[in-house]
Amino acid sequence: MLPSFRYVRPRTVAEAVKALSEPGARAHAGGTDLVGCLRDEVFDAKAVVSLSGLAELKGISATKDRGLRLGALTTLAEIARHAEIAKGWPALAQGAAAAASPQLRNQGTLGGNLCQRPRCWYFRGDFACARKGGEPCYAVEGENTYHAIFGGSGCYIVHPSDTASPLVALQATARIAGPKGTRSVPVEKLFVLPAVDHTRETVLEPGEVITEILLPPPLAGGKGLYKKVRARGAWDFALGGVALALSMKDGKVWSARVVLSGVAPIPWRVPEVEKVLAGRALDAKTAAEAAEAAVKGAEPMSGNDYKIPLVKGAVEEALLSLA
Amino acid sequence: MTDLLYWLQGAVPETPAPKVEMPPWGETKVVGKPVPRVDAYERVSGSAVYPLDFALPDMLHAAILRSPHAHAVVKSIDTSAAEKMPGVRAVITGKTPGTDIPWYRSRGKSYSKLFDDRVRHEGDEVAAVAAETRAQAYDALKAIRVTYEELPFVLDPQKALEAGAPAIHEGTNRYGDPSKYERGDVAAGFAAADAVVEGTYSTACEIHAPMEVHGSVVKWDGNRLTVWDTTQGVFVVQQQVAAALKLPLANVRVIGHYMGGGFGSKLEAGKYTVIAALLAKMTARPVKLFLSREEVFLNAGNRPANTMKVKIGAKKDGTLTAIEFLSMGSGGAYPNGADTSFLAADLYTCPNVKTLDENVAINAGRARAMRAPGFPQGAWALEQAMDELAKKLGMDPVELRLKNVPKVSQRRGNQPYTSTGLAECLRDGAKEFGWAEAKKKAKGDGAVKRGVGVASGLWGYGGGPPATVVVKLFADGSVNLNSGAADIGTGTKTIMAQVVAEELGVPLDRIQIEHADTGTTQYTGPSGGSKTVPSDMPAVRAAAVEVREKLLKAAAEEMKLPVDDLALSNGEVVSKQDPSKKLLVTAVPGLQRQQVLVGVGTRGPNVEGKVISMFAAHFAEVEVNTKTGEVTVTRLLAAQDSARVMNRLTFECQVQGGLVMGLGLGRTEERVLDRNTGKMCNVNWHDYKIPTALDVPAEQKVHSVDLVDTECNTAGAKGVGEPATIPTAAAIANAVHDAVGIRVHDSPVTPPRLVALLAGRGKKG
Repeated sequence: MLPSFRYVRPRTVAEAVKALSEPGARAHAGGTDLVGCLRDEVFDAKAVVSLSGLAELKGISATKDRGLRLGALTTLAEIARHAEIAKGWPALAQGAAAAASPQLRNQGTLGGNLCQRPRCWYFRGDFACARKGGEPCYAVEGENTYHAIFGGSGCYIVHPSDTASPLVALQATARIAGPKGTRSVPVEKLFVLPAVDHTRETVLEPGEVITEILLPPPLAGGKGLYKKVRARGAWDFALGGVALALSMKDGKVWSARVVLSGVAPIPWRVPEVEKVLAGRALDAKTAAEAAEAAVKGAEPMSGNDYKIPLVKGAVEEALLSLA
Repeated sequence: MTDLLYWLQGAVPETPAPKVEMPPWGETKVVGKPVPRVDAYERVSGSAVYPLDFALPDMLHAAILRSPHAHAVVKSIDTSAAEKMPGVRAVITGKTPGTDIPWYRSRGKSYSKLFDDRVRHEGDEVAAVAAETRAQAYDALKAIRVTYEELPFVLDPQKALEAGAPAIHEGTNRYGDPSKYERGDVAAGFAAADAVVEGTYSTACEIHAPMEVHGSVVKWDGNRLTVWDTTQGVFVVQQQVAAALKLPLANVRVIGHYMGGGFGSKLEAGKYTVIAALLAKMTARPVKLFLSREEVFLNAGNRPANTMKVKIGAKKDGTLTAIEFLSMGSGGAYPNGADTSFLAADLYTCPNVKTLDENVAINAGRARAMRAPGFPQGAWALEQAMDELAKKLGMDPVELRLKNVPKVSQRRGNQPYTSTGLAECLRDGAKEFGWAEAKKKAKGDGAVKRGVGVASGLWGYGGGPPATVVVKLFADGSVNLNSGAADIGTGTKTIMAQVVAEELGVPLDRIQIEHADTGTTQYTGPSGGSKTVPSDMPAVRAAAVEVREKLLKAAAEEMKLPVDDLALSNGEVVSKQDPSKKLLVTAVPGLQRQQVLVGVGTRGPNVEGKVISMFAAHFAEVEVNTKTGEVTVTRLLAAQDSARVMNRLTFECQVQGGLVMGLGLGRTEERVLDRNTGKMCNVNWHDYKIPTALDVPAEQKVHSVDLVDTECNTAGAKGVGEPATIPTAAAIANAVHDAVGIRVHDSPVTPPRLVALLAGRGKKG
């Protein structure tokens, strides 16, 4: 059952920030996650602040430096079918297309996709888990098939977003409006590891809202993709995935950014893989070495050590498909 | 409850044979044709009123408080705060007078009560509230203070049998003694074998997850109760509700016109109906009580998980010499069937067979019959073992099965089948699928490997009595068809109308269908077990034939011709000898005088000394990504023997649905219980993964072998619901094995499970 809440629909970002600064206020973009969380009583809301009246949070436009500005309310469907994004930032287009289902992509927004709450069944279910302020992380001794093999500590969620890893790979920046004005945060720095604070997923402070995502211009000789492995063909989160943003020169990798999804509480950048790739041709040997490097240091639990071969396989396939 | 599933136990009550002669149909005009559903417009336009849509003036909404614990004693319940909440009109618990109602009966014993002070699984009923709105009812549930004393729980049937395991009921955790079957000498059979395969297979617990959640709307008029229920059988609900409330059957009217799926989970009355009735009585208001989706996951049945140990021996030429099949399952916290061994003892010719089925209590939601109860599990184990055997013998899996097609039902005293299409399903299916070509095709040299698999199955119950149907011919030649059968989405109404149209020559749109209402229609069993067509259509036919005979007799008097010379055609009675002699149906004086002709048809007994079974062979093609464990089912083909196909369209729909459901068992569906709390982790449609359109192959073909069976019943049709889903999962697993050489013993075949096996990390077979 939905809780009883006040509903406000501000007309300006300033009004929205003010409304969101009130205790118990929740931002409502596409609502595909918010409504489910409220209905399932994952958290409460005193006020639901609709962002739908904020024109400045909408639309896709070019920036002066040949980059792209994506309003936070841009739907996943808009991103998935946008020809320029598919050409210049393919990892993002593929990430958006891989999320959820057609209905959810029509409704779900980019900002919401980054700020969605974890899908861990203990967090979502009738369990007083650590992330909800309770005691244990039930996954450690429990059913952890879909949980983290990297970056867990007191809480072992995986970040559910399919656009976050591509955005980190693409060095995107989030513009954030808040009570103290606006600020820019690289998407790579947007997310919070449980070791830092296991009750929040982003660095957003009360009253803050993502207004837009800025993509830097496409890389020279750029190649990229997002590969997602899932248990079901649609409406499912990543068991493991990888976003690649490579810059090629003379048939070799000039620079690489490689970010895993579905394996850690945040988009999981793997610098070891980037090092393996630098200066190498994309051949079977490189791909195999990169795959090995991708899972170095993984700490699987009782039910998720399959993620090691799965991630290796996904990285290897992803790299070879760009060769 | 299980006692009601009598058709699964082979004992059917006898009813009188129909009074009319019904020779097998020759060429048919309406039956068998691809006729669109008579209620298609209502269903797709939204004008069909499902019980969940139903509302009455002044109606209250009820909700049930359920145990959050897997096993606990309810020490105390304080409802005082809840009773004062806005809109709350009644709160009931096990202490409320009139709630001391035994529930979950099996073998003459009750295992619980409507509200028990001992809760045995997450979701067990503790209290209930009726309020002006649904939100108020749910808010009030939160205000009920319950003190629980938590008890140790057990989720694994094997562990439930160990010494010191938590006792879920008085005495043993076994639901009765293990059921054993043996024929021949199994040891000698294995000794005589040239090849023996052995393995342990398991299937995950599946949830029925029908589109429409379970629930009822109830209303009292004095001491008479009317129930609008989403059900597969109104008469079952009537009997159980009447027994629970100690009312005569005449005081309980159950109406179940449209319903949004059941798959076996709606073959009984729910506690919710009785709780709603008690709340309605207390408040003197109609009450609506529907479960939430989460409650359906926890407490509206499931297909139990099973572990099955299979051993098969065969001669070099593929002749089976021995089968041993040991099954362990759990009906859940309360008794329900969990046996899986039937296929192993009946599907193939084998002189030496030993089976054992154990059924054990655990602290999880009770199972309910789920589309072919026990059979998809049994096929998962048996048909993968047969695949292993074929490999060991160097035989084609289709050939191995063909070598062992049975002529008689060995499990049922070697009685012959009225018809057996197993060989045809395998042969025609292989041809339609392109099996030989597909086997020859390369597996692929990249990371993605292709493979094909086959599995077969049978469903052993061809319906039977009792069923009584009334057909009325009105003075204008239009017809009323009155049958108690529920149309659970399979097209029952349409097929009944086709039978009437066939016998009376009336267009379908001139037939009014009145069904599934204990107040106005006649008794029949619930729609389940693939038995609606074979049980009800003969009764429909008998009723229609009786009307026709009465009409022709009346016409014969008027036309002064012998009855035998008359036939019905396009609204006219016509002489066969001299077609120029005819009389409009509406001009038959006998009809006009009485304004109605009534025919009453019954379902006669089944043929003696024979058994009725439906057969199927399913073929699957898959692509497996050896790097990631991803599986794509690229093709499925179902070859089915249901004897006569009553309607090509509804038949195809049923088989397509069966394939998708089988694909769910094989590929995606799995109830996950938290080992430390006993609570269900995936209580929603995201985490409990029903296949989506992208998981279903683009090419999914349905083939009927169209055998003529004049003995199964007077409609010549054996039914199709269950056999359409029995072999699918096993066929997919066999295809995966063909592609990558890995035997996935445990369902479902998910990327986590498969990639671990591919990497040598998982359990190997």
